[in-house]
Amino acid sequence: MKNEVRRRLLYGGPHRPFYAVKRNSSLGKRRGRGGVKSRSFEKRGQHPGTRGRQAEARLATRLVRAPAMLKCGMGGSQVKVFGKAIQALSRVSDELWLDPSEKGLALRSVNSCRSAYGCVLFSPVFFQQYQWSTSVKMNDNDTISNLNCKLGMKSILPIFKCLNSLERNVESCKIFTRSDKCKVVIQFFCRHGIKRTHNVCFQESQPLQVIFEKSTCSNTLMIQPRVLAEAIVLFTSSQEEVTLAVTPFNVCIKSSNEESMDLTSSVHSEMFVGPDEFDFFQIGVDTEITFCFKELKGMLIFSEATHAPISIHFDFPGKPMALSIDDMLLEANFILATLADEPSRASSPQSLCLSQKRKRSDLIRSNSKAGKNVTSKALEHISRKAAPKRLCPNETLTDISALENCGSPPLKRVSGDVGEVPASSVRRAEEVLGSPCLRKHLEDAKSHLSWENIYFTFNNQSIMMNF
Amino acid sequence: MKFRAKIVDAACLNHFTRVSNMIAKLAKICTLRISPDKLNFILSDKLASGGVSMWCELEQENFFSEFQMEGISAANNEIYLELTSENLSRALKTAQNARALKIKLTNKHYPCLTVSIELLSVSSSSRIVTHDIPVKVIPRRLWKDLQEPTVPDSDVSIYLPVLKTMKSVVEKMKNISNHLIIEANLNGELNLKIETELVCVTTHFKDLGNPPLASENASQARNPEQMAEVHIDIRKLLQFLAGQQANPTKAVCNIVNNKIVHFDLLHEDVSLQYFIPALS
Repeated sequence: MKNEVRRRLLYGGPHRPFYAVKRNSSLGKRRGRGGVKSRSFEKRGQHPGTRGRQAEARLATRLVRAPAMLKCGMGGSQVKVFGKAIQALSRVSDELWLDPSEKGLALRSVNSCRSAYGCVLFSPVFFQQYQWSTSVKMNDNDTISNLNCKLGMKSILPIFKCLNSLERNVESCKIFTRSDKCKVVIQFFCRHGIKRTHNVCFQESQPLQVIFEKSTCSNTLMIQPRVLAEAIVLFTSSQEEVTLAVTPFNVCIKSSNEESMDLTSSVHSEMFVGPDEFDFFQIGVDTEITFCFKELKGMLIFSEATHAPISIHFDFPGKPMALSIDDMLLEANFILATLADEPSRASSPQSLCLSQKRKRSDLIRSNSKAGKNVTSKALEHISRKAAPKRLCPNETLTDISALENCGSPPLKRVSGDVGEVPASSVRRAEEVLGSPCLRKHLEDAKSHLSWENIYFTFNNQSIMMNF
Repeated sequence: MKFRAKIVDAACLNHFTRVSNMIAKLAKICTLRISPDKLNFILSDKLASGGVSMWCELEQENFFSEFQMEGISAANNEIYLELTSENLSRALKTAQNARALKIKLTNKHYPCLTVSIELLSVSSSSRIVTHDIPVKVIPRRLWKDLQEPTVPDSDVSIYLPVLKTMKSVVEKMKNISNHLIIEANLNGELNLKIETELVCVTTHFKDLGNPPLASENASQARNPEQMAEVHIDIRKLLQFLAGQQANPTKAVCNIVNNKIVHFDLLHEDVSLQYFIPALS
């Protein structure tokens, strides 16, 4: 499984030299947003300085890949929000994906044990200027690949460190990158004519995505960040996990401790909040979920910058929960794994199938055995081995072979204009994980893969890629 | 064994929080002694803290609107609990704008001091915060080590200067040496001395005043100019000074020549006694 992941990191492919001209157009089905021009091949051949290589260029165009690119600019006050997003995502993991799309620029982060995922999507309206494009591989099949840009948090976090001074001094900020350049350029235009440029190298890596249907969660709370911040004060920074217990009458946030406690450390704290403190309070199921404190703090950091209420969507223990902020200019989602309650559940691990994308590659359709059991939402919970383990990053990936015992995932049918999910292919992938069959599927899929069609399965807190 | 207490007054709550913060700075693990009319914070673990001992006393009626306790037995109507002082101060920190604070001794799988805070909130419903601080009940056979230390017959008794000034002086001296000599005389003079091979630093405080002596004989026999001195570990003195947030109402220093230095402070109505033994 790890081999597949590694191979995928190189999916962007080796850089192909394209001598003729710089282009940032996307041809074919997809159009980038704004500022994208399309040119015909002939024109390209006429570019000054390339005469000597016209013939070669024309030949090369068939296989050429135009680099994907991102160019965006924001004002001083937006820099602070952007920086806060990066700081919040730094709590999730050490790596950050820059993922532009027509919906906007998404910053994504997944932690190493796959128990937390953060995504902040800045809509194009957030920026003063927003241009992006995908790269096009001109093969027999037009494949489109996006900017697959993964940055180390250690490189980018110090740039956005002193946000208060950035807010005071920076008048505007421009970020641009191209997939063939290997680096992201961040420029701050500060007062007194000072211009600061940072070049951050990135790794080519396809972003991982989690799609979580918040509307289907039975419990939803919306609360002002200030209330949550007051709850956070109760817990020490060494507190690893907190539990959220809800009934239709009140909500309790409490520290969650292991069974054996020693005298000096653990104070058990809890705070009861009445329903009228919430902007929106809908409890379908009385439940108690336990999740990692660190990521909650990360989300709160970000919410301070946006002043928007935080929505919490959750279900039963074991099923991931979502913390989200929805604003006109941006949308932030933190999906956290929760501790599954009874050990009995772990004995029948069920796969968590996430992500539906509307466009599906033909390969997936052909893999789908039957159209039944179509689902379009993430349903399964993250299961664990028999002994309850802690969720937080020091946990290692658990044994995938347990998957072979899995029962059929109860996938529900949901209406809506979403594509089919080959539930059976999911199951097949689970069952044959680690076998040559899956590897072959992955190899086949790679050549057809569009960057959208990535989804992965949470199972025993490990990730599986399904194509 | 039973203990329940309630604070409703904001000023009392703030004062109690300040006392708790001070204790947290002075002693990591301390003993809380609950008796019908007093609360004491005691540090008396000679070995662990290097011989330092602390005795802090507060009258319960100055703080609590309700106070009920039942000790181990009718004859020994006291409760001794061992707890990590930082836990209590952190729990009280969340009670900034509380409507009411209740403390009680509970047993939830293990003995706890449960601090229950009713917070005022914007909406009509109040928020309830509960902290369960784990404590250890100290058995009666160990009570004898935790009694009020006797104030030694001091050679010199002197009022202390402004503690903040003293603290900044001692902080700088700490960088030079660990060995501090504190000396004072009956003329209102107090010196803090550091001696190393290379350098000798002395800070003189004058016109401090001396409290009236208990026994007449001692004062006549002693030359007012003569200094009584103690060699102490500077870090212990610094820890003591760092714990004092506000300037005390009364601060007295008693020195027993080459034996022990005893600080007797009064913060409004809370008395604090701190003993630092001489370096051997």
